Amino acid sequence: MSLDTKQAPPAPTKPPLSHARDLSRPGFYVKLVLMALVNAFGVYGIMASWAQGEYWVLAALAALLVVANYVYFSKRAIPAKYLLPGLAFLLVYQLYVMGNTAYVAFTNYGDGHNDAKGPAITQILKTSDRRVEGTPTHPVAVLEQNGQLGFAIVDDGVVKAGTAEQPLAEVAGAASDNNRVTEVPGATILPISEIQQRQADVLGLRVSVSDNPDDGWLRTDNGSTAYTAKSLLDYDEAADTFTNAEGKVYKADPKQGLYVAEDGSSLNPGWRVFVGTDNFTRMFTDSRLQGPFLSVMAWTFAFAILSVLTTFALGLALAVIFNDPRVKGRTFYRAMFILPYAFPGFLAALVWKGMLNRDFGIINNMLLGGADINWLGDGDLAKISILLVNLWLGFPYMFLICTGALQAIPGELTEAGVMDGAGPMRRFWSITLPLLMVSVAPLLIASFAFNFNNFSLIYMLTGGGPNYPGLPIIMGETDILISMVYSVAFESGVKQYGLASAMSIMIFFIVGFISWLGFRQTRKLEEIM
Amino acid sequence: MAVKLENANKSPVSGLRWWKEVGWKHIVALVMIAICVFPLLYVMSASFNPGGTLTGSIRLFEKVSLENYQTLLGSLFPRWMLHSFIVATATAVGTVLMAAAAAYAFSRFRFKGRRGSLTALLIIQMFPQMLAFVAIFLLLLTIGDIFPVLGIGSLLGLIAVYLGGALGANTFLMYGFFNTIPDDLDEAAKIDGATHAQIFWGMIMPLVTPILSVVGLLSFVGTYGEFILARIILARPENYTLAVGLYVWASDERNAPWSLFAAGAVVAAIPIILLFMYLQKYIVAGLTAGGVKG
Amino acid sequence: MRKSIVTMLAAGVALSLAACGSTGAPATTPATASTAAAATTPAAAAGNLTIWVDETRIDDFKALGEDFVSASGVALDVVQKPTADIKTDFVAQAPTGEGPDLIVGAHDWTGELVSNGLISPIELGDKGKLADNTVAAFQYDGALYGVPYAVENIALVRNNKIVQDTPDTFDALIEQGKGAGAEFPAIIQVGDGGDAYHMYPIQTSFGAPVFKSNADGSYTNELGMEGAEGEAFATYLKKLADEKVASVSMGGDQAKQAFLDGKSPYMITGPWNTAAFTEAGMDISVLAVPSAGGQPSAPFLGVQGVYLSSKSENGILANQFLDYMATTEAQQKLFDLGGRVPADTSVAEGITDELLAGFAEAGKNGQPMPSIPEMGAVWSHWGNTEVSIINGQAADPVAAWKTMVENIKAGF
Repeated sequence: MSLDTKQAPPAPTKPPLSHARDLSRPGFYVKLVLMALVNAFGVYGIMASWAQGEYWVLAALAALLVVANYVYFSKRAIPAKYLLPGLAFLLVYQLYVMGNTAYVAFTNYGDGHNDAKGPAITQILKTSDRRVEGTPTHPVAVLEQNGQLGFAIVDDGVVKAGTAEQPLAEVAGAASDNNRVTEVPGATILPISEIQQRQADVLGLRVSVSDNPDDGWLRTDNGSTAYTAKSLLDYDEAADTFTNAEGKVYKADPKQGLYVAEDGSSLNPGWRVFVGTDNFTRMFTDSRLQGPFLSVMAWTFAFAILSVLTTFALGLALAVIFNDPRVKGRTFYRAMFILPYAFPGFLAALVWKGMLNRDFGIINNMLLGGADINWLGDGDLAKISILLVNLWLGFPYMFLICTGALQAIPGELTEAGVMDGAGPMRRFWSITLPLLMVSVAPLLIASFAFNFNNFSLIYMLTGGGPNYPGLPIIMGETDILISMVYSVAFESGVKQYGLASAMSIMIFFIVGFISWLGFRQTRKLEEIM
Repeated sequence: MAVKLENANKSPVSGLRWWKEVGWKHIVALVMIAICVFPLLYVMSASFNPGGTLTGSIRLFEKVSLENYQTLLGSLFPRWMLHSFIVATATAVGTVLMAAAAAYAFSRFRFKGRRGSLTALLIIQMFPQMLAFVAIFLLLLTIGDIFPVLGIGSLLGLIAVYLGGALGANTFLMYGFFNTIPDDLDEAAKIDGATHAQIFWGMIMPLVTPILSVVGLLSFVGTYGEFILARIILARPENYTLAVGLYVWASDERNAPWSLFAAGAVVAAIPIILLFMYLQKYIVAGLTAGGVKG
Repeated sequence: MRKSIVTMLAAGVALSLAACGSTGAPATTPATASTAAAATTPAAAAGNLTIWVDETRIDDFKALGEDFVSASGVALDVVQKPTADIKTDFVAQAPTGEGPDLIVGAHDWTGELVSNGLISPIELGDKGKLADNTVAAFQYDGALYGVPYAVENIALVRNNKIVQDTPDTFDALIEQGKGAGAEFPAIIQVGDGGDAYHMYPIQTSFGAPVFKSNADGSYTNELGMEGAEGEAFATYLKKLADEKVASVSMGGDQAKQAFLDGKSPYMITGPWNTAAFTEAGMDISVLAVPSAGGQPSAPFLGVQGVYLSSKSENGILANQFLDYMATTEAQQKLFDLGGRVPADTSVAEGITDELLAGFAEAGKNGQPMPSIPEMGAVWSHWGNTEVSIINGQAADPVAAWKTMVENIKAGF
C-alpha cells in the first residue's frame, strides 16, 4: 500500500498518447474548442486592459494565456494540465487578497488614514472653506462670459458680476427680477440644466468679493444661491504646510500620514503611509496585553484542539455506526444529522445564546427544571458552552467527511478482520481508523486552523465575555487570539486595519507553522499505510 | 416494536442480539435527532409567529400562522433562492471538477514540489481573510473594467471568486481517497493504450463518486450559506443570494423582522436536506459498486 | 474615451475570433461585448444621484425620490444596504470612486466619516424649521455635515392594563410596580455587554451626562460621568439590580417578550418596539422617564439624516437634493411614510399619534449622542462597568465606576 515508494509513470522516455496528438479522438476537439474559448477570452481581455491602461492586468493575462497554451499543447507538463484551472482561480482571487492584506499590514490604513495624500489635501481644503458668519445668502445667476464662468448677484439693489479672475464689480445695463439677475450685457445666463451639466466647474468657482482677498469669495453649492466664504487654512504647496488664521502651522509628517502642529493637534483626514514593521511590534510592546495574553493563548489552543477532537469524535462515531446496512431508516437519520449544517450558522448561534440565557433560557427553565446555571456569564461554564455549541455546529461536517471517506476502505480488509476473530472495536481501532486518518487527518488540521480563528462563533455567542472587570482594554475569558486582535485593533471604535492585518498575519504564521508540523506527521501516516 | 419485528424477520440476527448489534443504533439516532432538531424548534416556532421575538419566549408554537411564509413569496425571496441555486450549483460543479483534477495530478504523478505544493494549498487557505471585503471589492472593480460580466453585481463574478477557493481542503480530501485506488488499475489501462485523460475521466472519476458527492455537497452548502463576500460583490438586493438576503434581514438588531427571517431560514434549509437525501446513494455507494474487486 | 474602449473591445473580439477560426467562441464572446456596450452607455436623464439607504426606510426614500424627480428632473437611484454594514461599506468603497453621492444614516457617524474625509460640509442657506438640536447633532468642528429628518429616543412605556398613573420619581415607580404584583416592577434591557444607552435617562437624572456641555449645547471633552454624581448613579444601579429592574439576562429580545407577556407595568424602550406592542393588542402610553436622582432625566437623541459624500461628482445636484430634504414638504412626506418623530418642528406639531407624541415629549430634554470617533471605547467601558455592577462582579460600585472613568480618560 505504500504510495511514495512507487515511481511515477516513465513519461519522459515513452509518453503515452495524448489527446493533442491523436486526431481520431473526440477529446482532442473538445480541448481545441475549450482552448479557443480561453484564447478568445484572453485576447479580448488583453485588448480591453490595453484600452483601459491597466498594464498590470495586461501582463498577468498575457502570462496566464502563454502558460495555458504551453501546458495544454505541450506533450510534457502532464500534471500541470490537471492543476492549472484550479491554480489559475487561486492565483487571481486568493493570492490577490493575501497580497493586499500583507501590503496593508505595513501601512497605517484604517480610520483617519483611509486614502492617499492627494485626496486628503483636497478634503482639508474643502472642509476649511467656510461661510463667513453673519453674511447673507444671495440668489445667484451663473454666467458665461468669453468662455469663462462667473456669478452675478444683486447686492443692496445693485447688480454685481465677476469671474474667477475678476472680483465682483457693478455692471451697467443689467436687469434683475426679485433679487435674481436676469440679464447681463455681453454674457449668457446659464439655465439650470446647463449648470447641472457643468456642475464640477460651477461648484469649484470662487469669485472674490473685492480686491482685498481677506474679504473672502462668493461660491455656490446648489447653483441657485451663493454665499460669502473664506478658507480657515492656507495651503503652502512648496512647504507642504497648512496655516490657520492665528498663524498656527500644520506640517506634513510623512511618518504618521498627518498634518501636525507643534502643539500636537492635527488636521482631518490623514493619509495612508508605510509604517514599516510598527504594526508587527505593537502587539509585543502594548503593556495592556501582557496580563491576559497567556491565558488567551492557552484558551485559544484548548478551544481549537478540543473543537476538532469533539466534532471529529462525534462525527466519526455516527458515520461508523450508521454505515451499517442493517440499520433501517438510516437515509432519514443521516439527513436529520446534517440539519445543524443546513441552517445559517449565525442564526444557530443566536438561538443557542437565547437558549443558554440564565433566567429566560429554555435550558435552565425547562430542561433543567428551573436551575440557575450561569451558562454564559461564568468563565468556565462559558468555555464549556462554547465547546458544546461548536460541537453541535461542527459535527455534521465531520460526519459527512467520515461517511465519504469510510467508503474507500475496502470491504475485504474488515472482512479479513472478522476472519481473524477481531471484535468490532478492535477492527475499528486497528483497521478502520488508521486507514481513515490517511485521508481525513489533513482536514482535521484544516479544521484546527479554522477554529483557531473562529471569530464569528465567539463574537456571536459570548462576545468574548464574561469580561474581566476594570481592565484598560476590554477583554473577556472566552476571547481567543483573533478576537483579542479585533478588540485591540478596533478599540475605541477607530478601526486600524493595518494593525489588525499585521496581527492576524502573525497568527497565520503560528497556525501555519503548527499545521506544517502536522502535515509532516500525516505524510508519515501515508508511508506507514 | 414494529421496526424490531421487521428487522428480526429479515436479518439473521434476532432478539437480544438484534438489540446488541442494531437496535441500540436506533436509540442513538433518536437521541441525536432530538439534539439536532431541538434548537431549530425555536426557529420553526418563530417562523409561525408573526411579530414575535426569536429567543425571548420559551413557550414555543404559541401562535401558528402561515403569514410569514406568504410574505416570503411576495418578497424578493424566490429570486434570491434562484440566485443561490445558480451560484451554489455552478460553484459545486466547478469545485468538484477542479479539485478532482488536482487530486488526480497529486495522486498519480510524481513531480518536483508535489508534496510542498500540496501542503501550501492547505496552508494558503488559512491566511486571514479579514480584509477580504476591501480587497475583493478592489479586485472586482478592476476585473469589471475589463470583463464586465465578472465585475461587481454579477453572479458570474461571485462564482469566479468562490472558485478561487476550489483547491485546498477539498483537494486533500479527494487526494486521500484517490490514493486508496490501486495503481495497478492505471497500469493495466495504460498497457491497453489508454491516455492519462481517458484514465482520469473514464476510470478514476466513476470510482470516486462517493468523495465527489461529498465535496460537491460541502461546496454547495458552503457557497449556499456564504454572505460576507456575496454581500460585497452582489451589492444590490435584486442581485442577492439567499444567504445575503437573510443576513440583511437579521442585520438590524432593533427592527429585524425575526419571524420572517426564521421562515426564510426554514425554507432555505429544505433544499440542502433534499440534496443530501438525493446524494446519499452516491456517497455511500462504496468502491465495490464501481467494480474495483476484480 | 468610453466609446473608444467599446470599439477597441469589439475589434479585440473580432481579432481573436479570426485567430481561432470556426470554433465555438462566437456564441459567447459577442454577448460579452454587448453587455459592455450597454454598461457604458450614459443614462439620458437630466441628472442622476445615487443614495444609499438601509432596509428600514428604503421604501420611504424611493417614494421621496419620485417626488424629487418630478420637481427637479434629477433621478434618485436608491440603493439598499444592510443596516449593519452601510457605514463600513461606505468607508471602504467611497475612496474608490464607486461610492454613492448621498448616504442616509445616524448623526453619530459624523466623527468617523469626517476623520476619514468622506463627507462634505453642507451650507444650508435656509435651515427652514429644522429643530436646533437636530441640526446641532450633525455639527462637527464647526461645520454642518448632514441634513436631519428624524429623531429617535427612548422613553418610558406603560402597560395601562396593569397601572394607569405614574409617579414622578423612579423610586416611587419601583414601589408602585412591586405593589402591582407583576414579575418585574419595571424593565430596562441590559444584556451581557451592557446597555448604557437604555440606562442613560436614569444616569442623567443624577446630573452625570457622558460629557459636560458648552453653553450652546455642544459637548466638551470633559467627562461628565466623573465625580460624585456619576458615583451616585453607580450606587443606584446596584439598587436597580437588587429590585430586579436591571438584569444581565434581560437582553433586548427578553425585555420585549417579558413586556409583551404583561410581566411588567413599565419598560424603557424606543419607538421601534411599540408597533409590536399595539399589534399584540396592548393598551400602552409613552411618558418621560421619571427622575431617579432628582434632576430631570434626559435620553440620548439619535438623529437620522442625509450625508453628502465628498467623493460625489454630482455636487450641485446633491446639494439641490439636500435643499429639498430641508423643506417642510419633504420632511412631511418622510414623516407620513416612515412615521418617525420628524426633525422639522412644524411637522412635529402635527403629530396626532399619541405614542409618537409621547416619544417626542420625552426627548425634549435629550441631547444627541456624542459623535466623536473615540465614542466606541467609551460605550464599551461604560457598558462593561454597568454589567459588572449589575451582576455583582464588582462588589463596590463606586470603585468600579472610578476605574471606568480612569480607563476612558486613558483612552483619549
